[in-house]
Amino acid sequence: MDYRERWELKDYLVGQRLARRVVLAHVVIVTVLLLFALNLWYLQGIGGDEYAILAENNRLRRIPMPPARGTIYDRSGMAIAATRPSLNLVLMREGIADLGNQIDLVAPILATTRDALNARLSQMRSRPAFEPLVLEEDVQFQRLARVEARREKFPTIEVQQTTRRSYPNAGLYAHVLGYVGEVSSLEGAAGLQLGDIVGKAGVERFYDEKLRGARGWRVVSVNNLGRRMGPPRDEQVPLHGNPLRLTLNSAMQRALREGLVDRSGAGVFLDPSNGDVLALVSTPTFDPNVFASRITRSEWQALREDPRRPLLNRAIGSFYAPGSTFKVVMAIAGLESGTINPSTTVYCSGSTTIYGHRRLCWKKGGHGSVDLRRALVHSCNVYFYHLGQRMGIDPITRVSEMFNLGKPTGIDLPGEGSGISPSSERKQARLGEPWYAGDTISVAIGQGLLTASPLQMAVMISGVATGRLPRPRLNAETEVVTTPLAVAPATFAVVREGLTDVVSEGTARRAEVSGIRVAGKTGTAQVFKHSAGIDADELPEEERDHAWFVGYAPDDDPRVAFAVIVEHGGHGGTTAAPIVRAVLEAFFNPPKPPVEIEQQDRQVAIAPPRARPAGSVAVGG
Amino acid sequence: MVAKIDLPAVLATLLLAGIGIFFIASSTDGDVQSQSLWRMQALWLIVAVVAAAIVVAVDYRVWCEIAFPLHAIVLVLLVAVLLFGKEVGGNRSWLVLGPVRLQPSELAKWTTCLALSSYLARRVREGVGTRELFEVGLIAGLPLVLIGMQPDLGTALTFVPIVIGALLMGGLRWRVVVVGGLLVLLTAPLGWIALENYHRERILTVIQPDRDPSGVGYQARQSKIAIGSGGLTGKGLYRGTQSQLNFLPAQHTDFIFAVIAEELGFAGSILMLGLFYLVLQRGIGAARSAQDRLGTYLAMLVVAWIAGQTTINIGMVLGRLPTIGVPLPFVSYGGSALVSAVCGVALIVNVRSRRFVN
Repeated sequence: MDYRERWELKDYLVGQRLARRVVLAHVVIVTVLLLFALNLWYLQGIGGDEYAILAENNRLRRIPMPPARGTIYDRSGMAIAATRPSLNLVLMREGIADLGNQIDLVAPILATTRDALNARLSQMRSRPAFEPLVLEEDVQFQRLARVEARREKFPTIEVQQTTRRSYPNAGLYAHVLGYVGEVSSLEGAAGLQLGDIVGKAGVERFYDEKLRGARGWRVVSVNNLGRRMGPPRDEQVPLHGNPLRLTLNSAMQRALREGLVDRSGAGVFLDPSNGDVLALVSTPTFDPNVFASRITRSEWQALREDPRRPLLNRAIGSFYAPGSTFKVVMAIAGLESGTINPSTTVYCSGSTTIYGHRRLCWKKGGHGSVDLRRALVHSCNVYFYHLGQRMGIDPITRVSEMFNLGKPTGIDLPGEGSGISPSSERKQARLGEPWYAGDTISVAIGQGLLTASPLQMAVMISGVATGRLPRPRLNAETEVVTTPLAVAPATFAVVREGLTDVVSEGTARRAEVSGIRVAGKTGTAQVFKHSAGIDADELPEEERDHAWFVGYAPDDDPRVAFAVIVEHGGHGGTTAAPIVRAVLEAFFNPPKPPVEIEQQDRQVAIAPPRARPAGSVAVGG
Repeated sequence: MVAKIDLPAVLATLLLAGIGIFFIASSTDGDVQSQSLWRMQALWLIVAVVAAAIVVAVDYRVWCEIAFPLHAIVLVLLVAVLLFGKEVGGNRSWLVLGPVRLQPSELAKWTTCLALSSYLARRVREGVGTRELFEVGLIAGLPLVLIGMQPDLGTALTFVPIVIGALLMGGLRWRVVVVGGLLVLLTAPLGWIALENYHRERILTVIQPDRDPSGVGYQARQSKIAIGSGGLTGKGLYRGTQSQLNFLPAQHTDFIFAVIAEELGFAGSILMLGLFYLVLQRGIGAARSAQDRLGTYLAMLVVAWIAGQTTINIGMVLGRLPTIGVPLPFVSYGGSALVSAVCGVALIVNVRSRRFVN
């Protein structure tokens, strides 16, 4: 049988039935195609413009361009905070199905762990998909090379150029400069966006708006992986931050830092004529560069919970009893209130009994008959006990408030505190107790209900040196503000003479600088009650008193005023005075040309406090 | 015999394949790895035309005589693919013979059409009953299951329209419709459970297009943006941003229709639909004028195959059907698919050219 005949031909009935089914199929096909045409009309005819915008947005991306933060200079024009280019290793998140796998692969090469990266990835879930995941900031070249070598395994890892704050001198200026970090959600202030870098502390924070600049942007075409295609289509150049010149003298800053070595303490050096902060150090310090990277929680915790509190700026935020340095204020108050005159004498036998309490002078044998000058020079407690008793608290309150104690000085740094100026009203307000006459006796030697920061003491002594109270400033371009002090010139003359002799013949001979006459006053802030009258060397370190030294130099034409405190340093004359000497040396006999500074600084490690000779006198200033 | 060749069908097919080659070139432009794919496709088109000439030259009744042996050979190849096939993107679909990579699953569509038509013409007179349903299921189900095991669900799915076409043409009895319908309804939940998670997600995305725009819904969303942004007249050749910047996935294969719609606009989309309709309409015409039932069945099954696959692909590109790997016949990149589909049209031409011969 022929192959054609093996197949049944159509008969009429079967043919009709088949034809009906074919027509049915035809109708179905036409219907489906018409529905598609309708759908296409809906998308392309009606929705065309809308989808055109979507397609445009799909490929146009606004890429923020961070501004370069303004450079901060010291007074000689040396950069102490700069912005440098830096590379970030990032992982594109968009259009990648298997991010987890990429992270698993890359984590062993990086300094971080898989879990940390995954945690960061899940934090980014709410951010736009084209923002990449930062794998590592400021990536080092070697690590970059290791990733590049495995390029084919990591097609979606890219290197991004950014800028980064850097502090070339590490911790030297830490408490002045502060540090920067990513804006936190709480600080969502005007014009700031998530990811912007802002100052978090110090000058970086105080002058943030000036330093920050404004971010720019660039519109680029990108492909589905967020990779840039072609030149930018539109661009707004970032507005770079303004530079900032500080009043700091780096040689002094360095000398002060090295003088404090590893002790807790602080020092402030001012130009008393205009309030320029020449040096400001608080120890222990920290490296602000650490904050420029994504600081880990544990690093942050460690810094915060360090019992020595390195983040605290002691120069403006720690308040200590001024101890015998307060005798300067006492002397002015006594003379100005007419309670005493320069020749008023008191006999010191080593102790005195006032209001039924026996009060000690620091010198067991007593100073004998002392007038005001000798009382200052030898820091005789008995003299000032009697002065306080006769004068009462009110003249003391008036003068100490005149010298700005108990109030912020107005320095251009965030976080400055007030301290306590002795006052009966304040005691009533703060403690709800009346002022007792005995309180005045403690205040007379700088203990009890009064505290001051090193900066406040430096401002106070500047006022004594020049007769005008300066407002301290770090920014060399801000206005100079000094307030005249309503104190008789004769009063200042007597006090200044006494302060000069403190260094030349009294408690602070170790502050002497060759060729320069230094004036100053030592002091100890009692940490424990019992320390009065006990040799500091016999006490364990943490129970020793805080050592103060405040003053100015040269005595006839003050160009530098200072206040230094060394926590648990014992006696100001032995611990704080040598530090001051080194810093004054740096000011009056500066290390020569800048090229040699480095070398010299390395050789001349400024003397740490020398071992004290046995049996040296200790307490009471 | 040349006079009897159905020129409109041939021209429409060649035009579709030509447009395909052009847009494969367009959508792979700038991509070093796949830049030369359009040349491969052009070569495959030559192979397809030669194969089609052979298919047309031999009477379709002869092809149907040997339909079952051919189908059996393809089934063996499908088993071989599972055993020795080359795995690409998680699917074991390719047999590698020297420089040639063959997808037996595409050939299976062609032999399934042949086998089902000859089965229907020989065995079915009074409509499809339960027994016939079982046998039709066996003929099409074997390749379907073997392909599903690769696992290439998209290609497996394209057998469903062919089976539906066969049942429709064979004349389904109401009893079978009811029983079959119930069976499908009962097994649907089981199927839902058997599906992989990502398949479920894809199905849900059709119902809620904004479910996961950067994940499972990404392809459908980008595809819609591409089509929509083409507007009425398109962005111009090589100017489709969605495709040229690689926002579109699988743009030279499964999503090539979106590239065409983006660059040629509504006009181009309608042209494509028109060309497909022309091919299908010629197939329906061939079925109606065929001199025997076999010719009608054969032409209609090829129509069901092409129409079904086109519907699934365009439905997916428009976001109306779940995203599943089904290429657009004649147009998408893929040699085996092109040869197979062109040979499908060749069967239509074959039936039509022999309508007046005794």
